[in-house]
Amino acid sequence: MDQEFQIEERAGTAPPVIAVSGEIDVATAPQLRECLHRVIAEGESTIVLDLLGVTFLDSTALGVLVGALKRCREVGGDLHLVVADPRIVKIFEITGLTSVFTIADSAQAAGAS
Amino acid sequence: MTDPTDTLATGDRIELRFPARGDLIVLARLVTSAISARAGFDIEELEDLRLAVGELCLLTLHGSDGRSGVLCLELTVLGDAIGVVCTLERATAADVAGPEGEEIVFLSEQILDALVDEHGRESHDGFVRTWLRKRRGGHAE
Repeated sequence: MDQEFQIEERAGTAPPVIAVSGEIDVATAPQLRECLHRVIAEGESTIVLDLLGVTFLDSTALGVLVGALKRCREVGGDLHLVVADPRIVKIFEITGLTSVFTIADSAQAAGAS
Repeated sequence: MTDPTDTLATGDRIELRFPARGDLIVLARLVTSAISARAGFDIEELEDLRLAVGELCLLTLHGSDGRSGVLCLELTVLGDAIGVVCTLERATAADVAGPEGEEIVFLSEQILDALVDEHGRESHDGFVRTWLRKRRGGHAE
């Protein structure tokens, strides 16, 4: 079995960094949705979502990310993704989402400080 | 040298049946990885098939309540290809999810378009059947 699914909200960065590891699929995506929606509801408009530890994601995960992106943009912010694994990048490419999301290969490059 | 007991040949068929719950789709992905490796697919093709079969299962479950019924996955080695058929039996229909649900179906179909050579979906009388076929050595993209 792959790495266990985990969400870590890193303190002390602006914009906030949320790091996810493991597999994001139909079973785990709701936890990510709840986390992102809560952080946005708490007043954050821009979020850096670090997916460097993600080993797999499916269309359910992409749906959650697109939904969170829309919420961020509705409040004048953005959702920046951190992705380096070519297998994960490929999923964004084949769905055309590389033109929708800002994707960087590190949290710093995505604007976190 | 390849151990013949570790390989699969044309016509070999593996069937997996499990409760039609989204959290168990991981089982379909795990079996797909094992079967694809034994059928001679390389690591990139294997990863493509793993993702594609997960999407096939999601498409099959779309419109069901995600709690009832049985999901049946059949993987068949077809020469230089693998054929996968996914059926949903005895499931209870549910209201199709909102915009996010429709978006996920669209994304699933985009992923399948890119990763496999052929795929399709049909339903009648509450019985849903999806299928895909992927060849070795020829990336669908």
